[in-house]
Amino acid sequence: MFEYAQRIIKRQFVLAFRSPTEFATPIAFFILVLALFPLGFGPVVKSSGAIWIVALLASLLSSDRIFRQDYDDGSLDQLLIAPQPLFGSSLAYIFAHWSQTGLPLALISPLIALMFDLPASAILALVISLLVGTVVLSLIGAIGAALTVGLRKGGALISLIILPLYVPVLIFGKASVDAGIQGSLLSPSLALLSALACGAIALAPIAVGAALRISMEI
Amino acid sequence: MHPIRRQRLGVVLFVVLFSSLAVGLVMYAMRGNINLFYPPSEVEAGIAPIGKPIRVGGMVEEESFRRNIDSLLVRFVITDFQSSLEVLYEGILPDLFGEGQGVVALGVLDSNGRFIASEVLAKHDENYMPPEVADSLKLSDKTSIGY
Amino acid sequence: MWTFFHKLGSPPWFYSIAGRILQWLLPLTLLLLATGCIWGLLFTAPDFRQGNSYRIMYVHVPAAVVALAGYYVMAIAGAICLIWKMKMAEIAMRATAPVGAFLTLTALVTGAIWGKPTWGTWWVWDARTTSMLILFFLYIGVIALYEAYEDKSIASRAAGILGLVGTVNIPIIYKSVDWWYSLHQPASITFTGGSAIESSMLYPLLLMITAFYSLFASCVLCNMRVSLIKREWRASWVRALVKED
Repeated sequence: MFEYAQRIIKRQFVLAFRSPTEFATPIAFFILVLALFPLGFGPVVKSSGAIWIVALLASLLSSDRIFRQDYDDGSLDQLLIAPQPLFGSSLAYIFAHWSQTGLPLALISPLIALMFDLPASAILALVISLLVGTVVLSLIGAIGAALTVGLRKGGALISLIILPLYVPVLIFGKASVDAGIQGSLLSPSLALLSALACGAIALAPIAVGAALRISMEI
Repeated sequence: MHPIRRQRLGVVLFVVLFSSLAVGLVMYAMRGNINLFYPPSEVEAGIAPIGKPIRVGGMVEEESFRRNIDSLLVRFVITDFQSSLEVLYEGILPDLFGEGQGVVALGVLDSNGRFIASEVLAKHDENYMPPEVADSLKLSDKTSIGY
Repeated sequence: MWTFFHKLGSPPWFYSIAGRILQWLLPLTLLLLATGCIWGLLFTAPDFRQGNSYRIMYVHVPAAVVALAGYYVMAIAGAICLIWKMKMAEIAMRATAPVGAFLTLTALVTGAIWGKPTWGTWWVWDARTTSMLILFFLYIGVIALYEAYEDKSIASRAAGILGLVGTVNIPIIYKSVDWWYSLHQPASITFTGGSAIESSMLYPLLLMITAFYSLFASCVLCNMRVSLIKREWRASWVRALVKED
């Protein structure tokens, strides 16, 4: 099972590096939209909330692609009839998606924090909360992607499905950055965010697997 | 063991492990608090930041309400029965505002430890009763109703 | 037991039995609503602190309670779709979603109207109000996902998964006022601890909650009958029904 999951992850990475523009789009989106915030709200936006909202949107933008290409070329059918449990393979897909979107966002966020003039104590909190929070975003996004993969026009629908479920991540993510600004790194909010991540890791792949089976049964 | 059964067992163990981790983290988080507002004792303990917009909440202390004669400026003290906090507010108060009532105020702490509110909201409790009943309760000296 | 289960899955049987239930349920609902409104609005004393404005509770509380319970009904129907692929469960799930969405909206709007005189603001982003807003969008998401699929059997199973994922929100809404110091007051009626509402005000409230439950049931049954006809219009029993009239 592990070997199979590893091969899926490797394949997703190869595919991503073959089309670097697609891989770079969410990151460019993240920086570009963040650059628009000070222009729209005046130069003194000190809000960590803005960073979180844009991370949410960047993840939303890319989540539609998790299964789309494999659905089109038929390799998703292969995945469903393989003897390996769907739990592990969907988790592998989600991990590949997270390490191509969430991970780079978290890694460049210190740069953003400097642009937004956040205090140094908050930067570490921002990176950790983004690292943990984007895992949840990818997992929820995969549920939405699996539910809408059979539809031609899934784009607007997926945001309607996913965004309400993103709300707790936004609340606790922003709260743990705020706790970081006040100097406490390991805050209750960060613990709750990690609890969300653990719960989603345990349960979301089940929902993704079931949703994939339903979507492919046409 | 049959390989497919072993895989299933692996999945089940994985789910159990991460679910219990989630529950453990929630238990840990419940020890701290994440709230809409800071009670006065936390403000006194220095947990609430100075000069940043925050919310404070508590009960308006009896006989602490003062109104300025020629403006809408009001001053009152909120308490959580451990410590208290002076609040200044200029504007119209909600109907339910009164001494002995719960309030939540939005504003900033100044460096003198006073709270400059920009908005005052009344928090009402879950008790409902007709006025006669409330009067009779007060007469029998059960003033524990309310906050 | 099993014959009843099988009968429940048969559209013509369900259609006629739902019609017969509605004959009694609709007048009963109207009666309960009318009695509850008149009792609550005219024959109870004003509150010792909020005066007359607390009376909006007689709409707000039942709407919120039934909106939460309705979500469970929808999620359970969705689970039945996923496990047994029952056609009636598919129809039941689609029928509960708009009713639940409407009740959630009612609770939000009446809450805003109540909030203005008592709290001093129309809307607060505290835990209770925010999670109710999420509940509304969950209902809308289920409807939108269902409508997006051509094949209604796939549609209802996909929407069923979304509904089950969304049930995480319900305990959060219910317990939010206890976990966080929010502006919204804690529950007045609990299953274990009795009630913090004086009994002369409580009875009309309980009556209104019953009335809303029965309103919910009758709306869902009406919806289900309509979508049965829509889905089965080719079937012989529908033709027979049309010929009868």
